Amino acid sequence: MNFDLTNDQKMLQEEVRKFAQTELAPLAPEIDKSGEFPWPNIKKMAQMGLLGVIVPEQYGGSGFDFVSLAIAVEEISRACASTGVIVAVNNSLTAYPILQFGSEDQKKRYLPPLCNGEKVGAFGLTEPNAGSDVAAMESTARLEGDCYVLNGTKRFITNAGEAGTFVVFAYTNKELKHKGISAFIVERDTPGFSLGKHEDLMGIRATANCELIFEDVKIPKENLLGKEGDGFKICMNTLDVSRIDIGAQAVGIAQAALDEAIKYSKERKAFGKPICNFGMIQSMIAEMASEIQAARLLVHYAGFCKDKGMQRFSKESAMSKYYASNIAVDVARKAVQIHGGYGYSRDYAVERLYRDAKILELYEGTSEVQKIVIARELTR
Amino acid sequence: MATILAVIEHRQGVIRDITFELLTLGRKLAEKNNAQLIGVLLGHDTQSLAESLRTHVHRLLVADHEVFSDFNGETYQQSLATIVKKESPFLTLVGNTAFGIDFAPSLATQLGFPFTTDCIGVEMVDGRIRVTRQLYDGKMDAHVQLAESTSYVLTVRSGICPAEQGGLSAEVEKIESPVVSQPDHKRFIEYIEAVVGDVDITKADVVVGVGRGIKEQANLPLVEDFAKAIGGVVACSRPIVDANWLPKDRQVGSSGKTVKPKLYIAIGISGAFQHIAGMKNSDTIIAINKDSNAPIFNEADYGIVDDLFKVLPALKNKILEIKK
Amino acid sequence: MDLIVCIKRVPQTAEAEVKIDASGKDIVRDRLTFDMNEADSYALEAAILLKEKFGGTITAISLGTADAEDTLRIALAKGADNAIRIKAEEFAQLDGFKTAALLKEVIKDITFDAIFTGCMATDDSYYQVGPVLAELLGVGHATLVSKVEVADGKAQVNRELEGGLIEHLEMSLPAVFAVQTGINEPRYASLIAIRRAAGKEIRVVGREEISIELKSNSTLEGLFLPPVGKRAEILSGSTDEISTKAATIIKEKGLI
Repeated sequence: MNFDLTNDQKMLQEEVRKFAQTELAPLAPEIDKSGEFPWPNIKKMAQMGLLGVIVPEQYGGSGFDFVSLAIAVEEISRACASTGVIVAVNNSLTAYPILQFGSEDQKKRYLPPLCNGEKVGAFGLTEPNAGSDVAAMESTARLEGDCYVLNGTKRFITNAGEAGTFVVFAYTNKELKHKGISAFIVERDTPGFSLGKHEDLMGIRATANCELIFEDVKIPKENLLGKEGDGFKICMNTLDVSRIDIGAQAVGIAQAALDEAIKYSKERKAFGKPICNFGMIQSMIAEMASEIQAARLLVHYAGFCKDKGMQRFSKESAMSKYYASNIAVDVARKAVQIHGGYGYSRDYAVERLYRDAKILELYEGTSEVQKIVIARELTR
Repeated sequence: MATILAVIEHRQGVIRDITFELLTLGRKLAEKNNAQLIGVLLGHDTQSLAESLRTHVHRLLVADHEVFSDFNGETYQQSLATIVKKESPFLTLVGNTAFGIDFAPSLATQLGFPFTTDCIGVEMVDGRIRVTRQLYDGKMDAHVQLAESTSYVLTVRSGICPAEQGGLSAEVEKIESPVVSQPDHKRFIEYIEAVVGDVDITKADVVVGVGRGIKEQANLPLVEDFAKAIGGVVACSRPIVDANWLPKDRQVGSSGKTVKPKLYIAIGISGAFQHIAGMKNSDTIIAINKDSNAPIFNEADYGIVDDLFKVLPALKNKILEIKK
Repeated sequence: MDLIVCIKRVPQTAEAEVKIDASGKDIVRDRLTFDMNEADSYALEAAILLKEKFGGTITAISLGTADAEDTLRIALAKGADNAIRIKAEEFAQLDGFKTAALLKEVIKDITFDAIFTGCMATDDSYYQVGPVLAELLGVGHATLVSKVEVADGKAQVNRELEGGLIEHLEMSLPAVFAVQTGINEPRYASLIAIRRAAGKEIRVVGREEISIELKSNSTLEGLFLPPVGKRAEILSGSTDEISTKAATIIKEKGLI
């Protein structure tokens, strides 16, 4: 049993924290208001190697493990939740499935631009009528000669408005149910592929969340990821990995909310003394801090399971995402509560953090879906 | 008789303020310890400078040589090493300035004397020197005892001992210049004047100084709007210049400009002594800072302990109302 | 060019609450974050820029406890080639002089063209280590350095004086440069570089290697909170009331 981070993880944490607090945090309120995708910071993160944390060096990445990615995503999200999810999606929802299921040619072609900031990645799974129920998707891809012809619409896609490389799921054979789903690498400039509605979201507002519209989009056969019918497996395996990062994002947002709450409670006076001296406030701070630490350990443990090569870690990953999302919303709520009326004002960071936190319970599988995954693993 | 030696700091033909502060401190220490204060002036064509120093010291040693035409830390160190050895003062005082720190620590090392830097208080206790220094970004003071010795070297922060009239009448004692040629390691080339920008903060009646508390560059317009409303100019502390948020010519402090406006409003400035040095002589100082323990409140006439992001817009509106 | 950079890991106190510990001689450190001293990070960057231009090596040295190795590793990741830690835990009363003397004991066996240090550390604000180290090594030095350019074996050096004035010097090498903050843009270490640096060996030097007795100049007797000066009159009330009071004061002074 050893809870220590390795030397490189400690260094990564220290350096990413410094980078995030110096370069990202100051922009967080601004891009929350404007919704502007933070390209300048994405280029800086590319230089540091944060866009391909888990991608091996030979494909232009940094070659770290999944615990390290979780540490990086936590620190980035602590400074800016929008930037946190942009990095998480690039790493674990785009680069990871290509790395894990792609051919050597696909890896060589698509991973370097995702790592060096030339292109940002996105994950096209959710549809207007298919969220938790993945098999309800309506997108189809039929083989015509050397190409698959893709039709359908994807909704609520993070990074979509600015992304260059998409991992997209569609039925190649509807009759086989989920075993008929396939995954494709789709490039932004493919004819017939357009962007639909830009979502005006409650939180993580700078994530270029957009609808994807595919109208007879011809995708070369060599862009099929894995084999025909592998889509569902790729999707589930990828989500197992990416949920760890959403857990990490949750820990980062919660930590930021706690930081703000502690600072405010020491500055704000009521009845002649700083409010941090009051039992009610202390109780909240103690709960928040304990929950954050528990969530962080769950996240690191899930990453550890992946890193040590466990084949099935759906339960661990779902637990970390479920618990961390849950407490992040609660911690942010308490942080607002500690701020009183000021916490409801856009002048204070906790207002943004509370909005940012809510998405955690919704995307990459709602909390309800996580519970299903956990319970199924326990009862099968 | 025991002696204290003080090194006269001058630049471009003008004696620096620190010199008179140092001489005042030196006289006080000399009086208490029954000692004489010796001023050492190294320069070239310094008759008028020497004249203005005579009332401040018991003895004034002047080495006049073209090698001292411009400041060179190495020339100073070698010359002072010779003079200090000859005069054997029990204490040598130097300003903790760009001038002083370039030669004092190495001079003391060369001579093998205990020394310390940036003192804000100096006292003699049983023949030993005990100083007060500031640590941890000025948030702590410390008493420091120097090792036992027959002679010490200290650099003293500017502004800690206000200059007083001397009332003495030393004769100028001309001495041979201990050094007559440019040194081995270092050659003075030139002074480069600071770039003059569009705004001269030293000429404004109202200066609005902004510091780290502004958090990010994007918040600067808030301060600019406020300054415009009150009819002032925006200045800043060093971290703002280090971050490239404002140009160097807006920096107030020891390595920037010294301002003496009618009103100085310090916004989100904690009050590092380097900044204080540049604005403490303002007629009225108002400080806005969230941290009630910020050192700036020890300098300000009026303090506002509140969130600057709330106060600035409110105060701006009040000022605009009054102006109407 | 073979360069040496002296770095120190210091508590970040600029925006933190600082309290005196039970000994009365130190501050409470467990709640503070630690990082490379600000001026030292500019010193390191200045050295890296020279190395990028002229080639050569950078040796980073830190006098500190085991934690300082984390900071040295960051220096390795940013561009230093070797790192040495002098075990602070084995030496007492580390003032600026003794720090420089210990650094000298290690550096005297290394060939170098220039040494970079920060002009001061934010924890003890000595302004001493660079110039004293130079004196002990018998080389030239410049403090408050804002620019170093090397050509034909000489360094063109700018020093930052009061009032924004710059002193331009020509210096021979080797020399020690104690640099000011804000003179360049310290880079972040890339993740790849971090991974490579994490495994690098850091040479650790202690009493065994430096056996000669080094004296210190001074003893810290105790810390105390700075006395409150004239103290501002604090305007109290709601934001609105405070603003009214402040505006009235400004008006009474005839400034609006």
